[in-house]
Amino acid sequence: MSARVEALFRNPAGILGEEGQGGDIAISSRIRLARNPAHRMFPLRADAEARRELCDEVAATVPEFPTLGGAEALVFDPEALDKLDREVLLERYLASREFIAHPQGTLLAVRPDERCSLMVNEEDGLRIQSLRPGFQLDEAWREASQLDDELGRAFEYAFDEKLGYLTACPTNVGTGMRASVMLHLPGLVLTGQIASAVAAVNKLNIAVRGLFGEGSDNLGNMYQVSNQSTLGESEKQIIDRLGAVISQFIEREENTRKLLMERDQHGMLDVIGRSYGVLRHSHRLGSEEALKCLSGVRLGVDMHLFKSLDIARVNRMFLAIAPAHLQKRAGRELDPADRDVCRAAFCREQLN
Amino acid sequence: MLCDNCKRNEATILIKEIRNGKAESINLCAECARLKEQQGELGSFGFNLAEVLFDLGKLTKAFKPGAKAPPEVEVPHEVAEAVCPHCGWSAEKLRQHEGQLGCPECYRTFAPLVEGAVARIQRGLVHLGKRPAGGGPDGAVAMRLELERLQRELGELIKREEYEAAAVNRDRIAALKRELEAAEAEEHRS
Repeated sequence: MSARVEALFRNPAGILGEEGQGGDIAISSRIRLARNPAHRMFPLRADAEARRELCDEVAATVPEFPTLGGAEALVFDPEALDKLDREVLLERYLASREFIAHPQGTLLAVRPDERCSLMVNEEDGLRIQSLRPGFQLDEAWREASQLDDELGRAFEYAFDEKLGYLTACPTNVGTGMRASVMLHLPGLVLTGQIASAVAAVNKLNIAVRGLFGEGSDNLGNMYQVSNQSTLGESEKQIIDRLGAVISQFIEREENTRKLLMERDQHGMLDVIGRSYGVLRHSHRLGSEEALKCLSGVRLGVDMHLFKSLDIARVNRMFLAIAPAHLQKRAGRELDPADRDVCRAAFCREQLN
Repeated sequence: MLCDNCKRNEATILIKEIRNGKAESINLCAECARLKEQQGELGSFGFNLAEVLFDLGKLTKAFKPGAKAPPEVEVPHEVAEAVCPHCGWSAEKLRQHEGQLGCPECYRTFAPLVEGAVARIQRGLVHLGKRPAGGGPDGAVAMRLELERLQRELGELIKREEYEAAAVNRDRIAALKRELEAAEAEEHRS
């Protein structure tokens, strides 16, 4: 077990520990910037030696990047980590699935508060990430851009006057920026409005996808809303356009919840109460049911129905019931049946 | 019909793929489709992203020998057969790797393909965002280029009576003008 992953695992804050602006519906905001060093091949084409070289250069210069925490930055060699540790990084949104699936010749540097990180040799040579609680795209952009400037002093970027930052895939060319906000939308799901809302924003080159599960089969009512186009607008224009859509989602979700409480109070309270009951009293809890019930309890907390529970605790529970985190907590590998027992025990303890 | 993969659940997803020039279809249940998609076996659910992105379907036709009709050569031959001088990447590699390029130089080598892809997926053709630190004025040149393009496009949209799209265009022109003025004022100050 890696001591550094252990340190992350023990870090209760992450980005979920505190409430940000737009707190209850917007869970977190993220900016990702794709960059590549000039005159080098993209990671897919680069050979093992070239990949290693870039990792070594980044590792040597990390202390010069204050936005990454300077000398305090946690630097991981994903290849040297076991599978479970890599999964922990994935579940904490510090690494992508693609990145942990091919750990050869990669590097990950994380600021100890986990709000800023850098992946080396993912799809692009350098991928900067900035994460913030709540709806804080502007702040996340400011920080990502700051780290970008620091990195840009150490590495000459592949940049074209017309096309902007050159990325491995033309879907990211230009700003190289993907901005996204994670939203909890149980009201829109309960009332069947989510499909039409998603279809409407798709027309604006904005993507909405369920965070857990696939397609309409979304679990936990968590949705990630992000820009699809990266060229032809400035970063600020992209963020403003995305922000306007997200504000609408939040407003509509708030109104729907109010309406539901007026028109079907017992139905609403039943969903919330049953969710709490399952989490508080079950002894075997699959991840599907757990996510569904956590969403119900989160809704109840937002509506001030629970005196002893706060939103930060519920947010942290979403993370803690994920498979790798459960196994870390148990200190050993667990098969799915054992995981269900541990998940139930953890939820009972948290709600006790 | 049962899922071709697990032979247990009802198949709900039909995937058709062209493999080695032959059309193959496979019936999957939602769970198997999800697993295969996660393991990257399906591309984007049976679509080859590169073919969609770069319109490479037409390129295949040009390659197919012994076709009855004369091949549709939509992609210029020199692009279809181009090899990047810096990294050795080819249009075929693009297809195999879901539209990923080999190196920054590939943007020049495959310029016609890249331009087509950019026009399909992006909202504009010119970078208007930040530039590498110390890289000169903040995109004012690019903004003027884009402004010019949008104004030209606006005229065409109005001619075609596509007023909804024209309104979107008009708003972007206004926003761009404001941004350009701000950038120029900033330049004067510094």
